Amino acid sequence: MADQHTNKELTYREVNEDVVNIMTQTGPMYYLTVALFGTAAVLLFIFPWAYQIYAGQGVTGLNTPVFWGVYLVNFVFWVGIAHAGTLISAMLFITHTPWRRAVARSAETMTLFALMFVGLFVFIHMGRPWNFYWTMPYPNPRQLWVNFMSPLVFDVVAISTYATSSIIFLFFGMIPDFASLSHSMTGWRKKFYGVLSLGWRGTDKEWHVQTKATIFFSSFVMPLVASVHSIVSWDFALSKVPGYSKTVFAPYFVTGALLSGFAGVVLMLIIIRRSFPALKKYITAYHFDRIGLFMLVLSLVWSYLTGLEVLTGLYADNTFENEHLIYKILTTPSMQLFMLMIFSNTILPLVLMSGRIRKCTSAMLVISIFVLIGMWLERYLIVPNSLSRKFLPWMWHDYSPTWVEGSIAIGAFCGFITLFMISIKIFPIISLYEVKEDVGIPMKKGHGYE
Amino acid sequence: MLGLFDYVDDLLEAAQEMKNAGYCITVFSPIPLGHEIEHAIGEKKNPLKWLTLLGAVGGFFTGLVFTLGTSAMYPLSRGGKPIFAITPTLLIAYETTILFGVLFTIGGFFLFSRLPFFGKRPNDEAFNIDSFGLMVEGVASDSEAEIGHRLVEFGAKEVKTLE
Repeated sequence: MADQHTNKELTYREVNEDVVNIMTQTGPMYYLTVALFGTAAVLLFIFPWAYQIYAGQGVTGLNTPVFWGVYLVNFVFWVGIAHAGTLISAMLFITHTPWRRAVARSAETMTLFALMFVGLFVFIHMGRPWNFYWTMPYPNPRQLWVNFMSPLVFDVVAISTYATSSIIFLFFGMIPDFASLSHSMTGWRKKFYGVLSLGWRGTDKEWHVQTKATIFFSSFVMPLVASVHSIVSWDFALSKVPGYSKTVFAPYFVTGALLSGFAGVVLMLIIIRRSFPALKKYITAYHFDRIGLFMLVLSLVWSYLTGLEVLTGLYADNTFENEHLIYKILTTPSMQLFMLMIFSNTILPLVLMSGRIRKCTSAMLVISIFVLIGMWLERYLIVPNSLSRKFLPWMWHDYSPTWVEGSIAIGAFCGFITLFMISIKIFPIISLYEVKEDVGIPMKKGHGYE
Repeated sequence: MLGLFDYVDDLLEAAQEMKNAGYCITVFSPIPLGHEIEHAIGEKKNPLKWLTLLGAVGGFFTGLVFTLGTSAMYPLSRGGKPIFAITPTLLIAYETTILFGVLFTIGGFFLFSRLPFFGKRPNDEAFNIDSFGLMVEGVASDSEAEIGHRLVEFGAKEVKTLE
């Protein structure tokens, strides 16, 4: 059986065995890595957050007029990371792009955990996280109802819809794989996956409904991707703050989200490929080549929109906007951060024009890390930076994050990696039935393999 | 009767003949066979799309009722903005359209594929791994040998009689 993208001889059973081995055979290095990242997540994320809850929001660098700082930078950043997973699984499914099959599941899993941190950062930012339900519209004795005119409420609705849809889409896609795993494993895992498979047998009727439902899910999720980050951008763009109030923000944010999301996917694919050499049969240089092309196009669009953002601000020739642009582009340290952002997101990705570089995982790793840094900086230069030069000079205030904010930001990455590594051992990291589709349909005569 | 096959074209030829002979058939496979199976035994139809549409339309109106209803019950004037504002209302309705569409689709998937089901049903572990299967129902006991023989002729590597 020849897989058209791997050029390796694969059988359906081998695909099963590879995934089972990845899930069940765990070396001491893996445990050690999970323990290290898990400990780092507790020390850098949980403890500082607990300290912040105990001591109050005063431990952050947030102060008049900059009340939106690193927490919301991270919020926007993680929403962006979440986007590529859905795009790969939904848009590339609708457009019948076969290379998505091997990488879609890991990207969807990434989406799920990224969305988890999206939610967490909102509550970290708000303070008093135990009152999180105040953001939800529900009948209550205080007769308080949320304000549906507020873009922050759009956010709650959009992101909870996105999280719900992503969880359903991920679980739904795994049902046939759970059935396959329950028949390939023993002990508690056999029972566990047996229950999760919900009695799936793989009948023609089940597959028919499953295929139709996948098409509908994909059709729903695609506009959702565009809407979620557009709505996130309107948190800023619907205000009058110089640097926030830009009509170009919706496409700018969506493009940036996809760019950072693809960079996140590349980074994660390289890490899991190196951790599990068996995956090299499924996640090949061809996949990096395709994703690299996406990143190149997105980088060019992002660069155009960045230029547009700056130039339209200059064209308006508004005193407040000009002051904000001077602060963002020509004042230390924003100027250096802005230049690093342009290097990371515009100049460096140009090397992706070379097919050889796109297929080189080490080069892709470096580019992805830079793009992620660049995209984080983009959000930093928008969110707190704009508020620092808000209208009249008596309001101006330079924002610098405290160790609590920095620690929580780094701890989130550690938490994300810990959860992702644990999930690899519990859930199939590649979609079994889709990779089998890639292998081909066994036909004695005609199309397919023999 | 349940036949296990290695090759899909063998399986589909057998399925076609059994269907033409008037038996009720079920095909098992580790991957979706899509057009191949539709070509052999005819296109399947189910009302999932209507349920999805119902969910999406219902979601849209739920979003409208939710936002407009809240504005009607708690008419707060905010900075001269209209009490019933079109843009935010449609934005919320857009999201609820998708949310309810997705929820109805997953509900429809469970309903029409009859999942979850944790009882005993004819199955073989290999169907979820690397084998294809054809279940022929309604075979009279005196025809079992003949049908079994026919399945083997089509390429079945194993034939089981189900109770």
